Amino acid sequence: MNAAATIAAESDVVESDGPGIMALLRLAASGGRSDRLRIALTAVGAAAATVILLAGAAVAFISDGDGPYALDVLDQPGLRPGVMISMLMLCVPVLVFVGLCTRVGAPARDRRLAMFRMAGATPSETTRIAAYETGIAALIGSVLGTIVFHVGRLPLDSTRFGEYTEQLGNGNTQAKDGQVRLLPTDVSIPIWAVVGLVALITIGSTVASSLALRKIRISPFGVTRTAPPKPPRRSAALMFVVGTGGLVALGIVARSSEEINLVLALVAFVLFVVCVAGLLTGSAAISASVGGFLAPRVGRPDLLIASRRMIAAPYTSSKATASVLLAVIFGAAIQATRSNFVLLDDGFDSFYADTFQLLDGVLIVAVVLATANLLVTNAEAIVERRRTLAALTASGTPKPVLARAVLMETLVPLVPSVLLAATAGVLAARSFFGTSVETSVLAEGARESEMVTFAVPIPWERLAVLTGGTIAISMAITALSLVLLGRSTRPSELRAAA
Amino acid sequence: MSEDMNNLIPSPEVHETDGRSAPTVLTARSVVYSYGNTPALRGVSMDLRRGEILAVTGPSGSGKSTLMLCLAGILAADAGDVTYDGRRISEEDEAQRSKLRRTDFGVLFQFGQLVPELTAAENVALPLLLGGTKRAAAITAATTWLDRFGVADLAGSRPPEMSGGQGQRVATARAMVTEPSVLFADEPTGALDALSGEQVMTQMVRVARDAGTSVVIITHDAKVAAYGDREIVVRDGMIEASRS
Repeated sequence: MNAAATIAAESDVVESDGPGIMALLRLAASGGRSDRLRIALTAVGAAAATVILLAGAAVAFISDGDGPYALDVLDQPGLRPGVMISMLMLCVPVLVFVGLCTRVGAPARDRRLAMFRMAGATPSETTRIAAYETGIAALIGSVLGTIVFHVGRLPLDSTRFGEYTEQLGNGNTQAKDGQVRLLPTDVSIPIWAVVGLVALITIGSTVASSLALRKIRISPFGVTRTAPPKPPRRSAALMFVVGTGGLVALGIVARSSEEINLVLALVAFVLFVVCVAGLLTGSAAISASVGGFLAPRVGRPDLLIASRRMIAAPYTSSKATASVLLAVIFGAAIQATRSNFVLLDDGFDSFYADTFQLLDGVLIVAVVLATANLLVTNAEAIVERRRTLAALTASGTPKPVLARAVLMETLVPLVPSVLLAATAGVLAARSFFGTSVETSVLAEGARESEMVTFAVPIPWERLAVLTGGTIAISMAITALSLVLLGRSTRPSELRAAA
Repeated sequence: MSEDMNNLIPSPEVHETDGRSAPTVLTARSVVYSYGNTPALRGVSMDLRRGEILAVTGPSGSGKSTLMLCLAGILAADAGDVTYDGRRISEEDEAQRSKLRRTDFGVLFQFGQLVPELTAAENVALPLLLGGTKRAAAITAATTWLDRFGVADLAGSRPPEMSGGQGQRVATARAMVTEPSVLFADEPTGALDALSGEQVMTQMVRVARDAGTSVVIITHDAKVAAYGDREIVVRDGMIEASRS
């Protein structure tokens, strides 16, 4: 049933005491193709968030009788909180994805909401329809995510990595034999925790959607923003400069310190938070500044269009970029920390190797999830501008020029931002763990080992892979959105609503 | 122009045209185009002479805009021929037709054709930049064209800061900046008030005549059609009448 028919069918309800929840649900589910796409993408995001959170919950509920596991970070109780925090961090790009999905097909949705108002729905009822739509999608996605998680555990649980024998008690008690699992697939998560997570994601998405709609006014004639977006804050750049400068200064102080000083470590953490906050809130300012520098100077049409877009709509990709930058900051910090541990530990103990390998895996997943957000943002930006793009094509602008403009709009501000993020991550790690390490070395022919101080090298190769890889993945993901360009430049779009 | 129509509409600025004696620049022969199973053009044939201003009129859904899109090479006709200056553009590929629109044709729509993020000068300079002109030269040329349309003071403004009439004059300057042989205008005053519409049409026709540019105006507005040297009426995908 299309929206108009649904409105007609529900009009009696809307005009009387207000629609019941079933009527609102039917209205929420009555959209067109772009509405269904938005619901599907929101559900996919909610499913991914559920799988990640359930994985974190499985780690949280590991008991004495569970395990052992092939990964030391899961086997040792003291390291499990770190794994759970990693899982929570992975949720950040997924939640950003869910947030961005609510903008997919926004013009069509806005027109539909205006139609609801025209049919007699009150502003609060219309807001509830939109919020329920997100809630339904999140509920469906969350339930699917729970099913995927539990079904996916079965083949993983049957895969074992060797056997073990553990002596219990004082040596004369019985041995405990078993097989080693890779992941905590033997852990049963209490039903209340599963239901709680599903409820948390569903209610959280609904509330977040309602809060987002607070900034818009839905009238029978359309949807308008009650407050225009503020220009990017330059103060964010100051935060980043202060944070980075502080970390550099702290690195110099830490170099002269013989061991990790807790006060310095705390100051380093605070400066790191300032630095991250500055970079994340300032990504729109970076976009506007780079665009402002390029626009009056460039003669290439693609770069001109891209740089003017960066000035006029700096927030378009900054939300998606923020999660990419967060992944790069932590990724760079992890790589720099690895350099310290390699020097500290002779031969790089397998425990550290495993831990850093796991962190690398989490990092790759985080980068891919974060860059996936660029796909949604770019697709939405193309669809919103389809009339202008169609007109440009009709007047002879080659499509490759428009495609390059879309790519540049995302990548030109992303490159300096990624480099700044990597710099911040490295500085934080070096400030926190120091720029040199003292370790015992047994020289050839010597009877006793002696303490030698080594300067910690900057892991240029790993940083190059991290930053280059992030930019390459971002480019590939952005290029995927160009599939929509062909469709959005058709002559039929010349008559699309402005 | 028919006598009846002249009685109904105010007489626009009248120009002597040599259109009837000028060579043909664009021809359509038995052009057919369908949107899926819905026919839009059912074998349209027509000529456009150099320097001629041709008004194409007809009711909504008659196929007049589709005719313009086929003539401009934006749509490739399903059957029939469109020939420009001896080139059968209906047989050329999208890239060739795209280049032709950039160099030899100008296209003007009802609204929404300016890039909202670019300044007026950059919007007008865009076709020149696409052709490889250096930025400084392109912006200088764009400013000159904005001046011809009386909107030079808006060179640094962006489209959202302009009125509808101002935006349409900037768009016309952009369509004319490459000094095209043919200017296609689809409902150029459709989104404007009467006064703004008249200003846009007067300036467009004056500049086109000065440049020797042929103009195809798609309109359902008799006042706008009156600016043409000749009018063809399209109905149900066919030319119903042609009058000078």
